[in-house]
Amino acid sequence: MDLSLTDDQVAILDAIDTLTRPYAGASLHEAGFALPDAQLDRELAEGGFLDIGFDPDLGAVSAALVVERLARLPQTVEAAASALIRPLLGDDLPRPLCMVEEGRTTRPIRFLREGGTVLIVGRSGVSTFTATAEQVRPEPEALFGYPMATLLAVPADRISHAVSVEDILTRWRIALAAEAAGLLAAALDSTVAHVTDRQQFGRPLATFQALRHRLAEAQVRANGVRWLALKAAATLDPGDAALAALHAQESARATVYDFHQFFGAMGVTLEHPLHLWTYRLKALISDLGGRGGQGLAAAEALWK
Amino acid sequence: MDFAWTDQETAFRARLRALLADTLPDDWERFSQHGPASPALTRYAETFCGTLAEQGLLIPHWPVALGGQGLDPWHQTILAEEMWIAGEPRGGQYMNVNWIGPTLIRYGSPDQQARYLPPIGEGKALWCQGFSEPGSGSDLASLRTRAERDGDFYHVTGQKIWTSYAGLADTCFLVCRTSDDRKRGISILLVPMDTPGITVRQIPSLIGEGDIHEVFFDDVTVPVTARLGDEGQAWEIIGYSLTNERLGIPRYALARAALDRAVAVLKEQGGFDSEAVRIEAAHAAALTEAARMASYAIVDRRAKGEAIGAESSSARFATVMAERRVCEFIVEYLPEALADAHPYLKMHHQRGIVAGIAAGAAEIQLNIIATDVLKLPREPR
Ligand SMILES: Cc1cc2nc3c(=O)[nH]c(=O)nc-3n(C[C@H](O)[C@H](O)[C@H](O)COP(=O)(O)OP(=O)(O)OC[C@H]3O[C@@H](n4cnc5c(N)ncnc54)[C@H](O)[C@@H]3O)c2cc1C
Repeated sequence: MDLSLTDDQVAILDAIDTLTRPYAGASLHEAGFALPDAQLDRELAEGGFLDIGFDPDLGAVSAALVVERLARLPQTVEAAASALIRPLLGDDLPRPLCMVEEGRTTRPIRFLREGGTVLIVGRSGVSTFTATAEQVRPEPEALFGYPMATLLAVPADRISHAVSVEDILTRWRIALAAEAAGLLAAALDSTVAHVTDRQQFGRPLATFQALRHRLAEAQVRANGVRWLALKAAATLDPGDAALAALHAQESARATVYDFHQFFGAMGVTLEHPLHLWTYRLKALISDLGGRGGQGLAAAEALWK
Repeated sequence: MDFAWTDQETAFRARLRALLADTLPDDWERFSQHGPASPALTRYAETFCGTLAEQGLLIPHWPVALGGQGLDPWHQTILAEEMWIAGEPRGGQYMNVNWIGPTLIRYGSPDQQARYLPPIGEGKALWCQGFSEPGSGSDLASLRTRAERDGDFYHVTGQKIWTSYAGLADTCFLVCRTSDDRKRGISILLVPMDTPGITVRQIPSLIGEGDIHEVFFDDVTVPVTARLGDEGQAWEIIGYSLTNERLGIPRYALARAALDRAVAVLKEQGGFDSEAVRIEAAHAAALTEAARMASYAIVDRRAKGEAIGAESSSARFATVMAERRVCEFIVEYLPEALADAHPYLKMHHQRGIVAGIAAGAAEIQLNIIATDVLKLPREPR
């Protein structure tokens, strides 16, 4: 076992930090519920950062590290599915790649827009199509930290892919966990900064143990989600992936309201960017049947 | 990043499993319900540790010059996991090999090393650690057991409590006060338990007989040569001991093994068809594996010789979360395990309650994470 980043991984993450630095420091005042950024998306795609998972020498662990790092940004980029799932399908599919479960196609879908690829996975296999304007209804008022849209129709004419449903679901779970790890870390950092700064009763909020302990527990969770995501990316094992996604969804559930709570009223405004991370976490909680879905998948993989 | 075990590590684990299968008596699972500190297990541990010593598996992580093989922290972790999963057949001796020995190697005088290291390496020693007192638990530095210097001797008076193994131990790693300075006034004495003036009283407990005790010191005479390190050096020495024992017992490993066993039993009974049960089992497994990975991240740094600090508290708390969830799962869905139907699960349950208390309580770990990992400003004192 060697849990340090390889030189290549250090170089990739450094390059991402350099590329994203202007974005990380952008003014976020009244950012809206979600903060998509077409230019950032383009720069990342052109830099090849979303194609790292295609390189067998770098593989899924490096892709997961990229996803985790990008999720920390206030801007939202469709990185998780592109970096971790697209390598099973081919690099000719137009981005964004939007993940949809068969039987749950009427739910709001992250990043769905005209020209993007919709992947449908379920009992009948794995298929994709390129979304047209008529199939998509944007949901600009959705209470989520991603650009969301509803799929109005699923065309019968789709490209079917000779890849197993289980492999797609495994990578979806890894992608979800890697993204959640970055979101949890960023939301925690943001909350830590606020409670350190904000004074009440003559002392920083951070000196009150009721808050300290809940934030410390959030650190334990964020750390656990990150490690489970990376391990699952290394093994590509369905059980590891299901545990990682389960821990991610459970940890999102357990922490999101605390983070907002500790901001007081500031945490219910759009003036502070906290929601850019937490309202993305909220969107991830319902993927693949939520915690129950992950739990059943894990039980199936671990104990048959 | 590489999450796979090396061939050598895999072989080491297999060798330990084979040895355990060959060596442990047939009724071991029932027998191991005697706590690690019980007289029965302590006696058995002498035989078992003798076998380990013969095979070079008692102190493989010690330096070669001192009878070990210089194996790295990954091997030490594998050893600790396999022993704890098996119900810790080393009894209280795990403590000797994990941190008492290494601490003596670092701080002991030549005489102390010559006297104490060989019996540890042969599996014949049993130590107890006299840290906690009735008024000093988490706040260890407030301890009051006093060692008054009188020429070449100390006179020790005071009381220790929760002392594991004290009933049968031959030597006490005693932390006591030699001056009023809160942390620099504390010293360590290595005290034979048959020294006149020491009285031990067992405290009945939830975790099996013989585990915890009160130890009274009534004007106990200890030669100055029995002091480990300098007067007032205890805090530093304890800090070093902790680096060898930061992660504590690998409880996540037994928790997962117990969970797997409980699931196997439930499957036989048909109880694992319930979705609620399956989901709850998965939650427990997610926590054991999160704790395992958080712990491995620390082991990895130790193996590379990097400083490890507060992150180990994060791994410790993750382990508490895992241990609790597994215990709760079994109580809810396999209650007969707490009667007598499944000795292995009963053994796990008995020991599980300790996870958040011994060797640094859970809230203390959270305090450390808040201050040293998250870098939050300190609480006012
Ligand atoms: C099975 C077992 C074996 C043991 N073996 C030994 C042994 O061999 N030798 C030995 O010396 N000791 C031993 N101990 C004692 C152990 O080290 C102490 O139990 C531990 O340090 C906690 O101290 P305490 O029990 O006095 O609890 P307390 O310190 O009274 O703590 C009680 C509760 O209050 C919380 N708390 C305390 N301080 C704070 C704070 N500042 N902020 C927030 N919460 C706080 C704690 O986290 C805990 O939840 C053993 C304990 C057990 C259970």
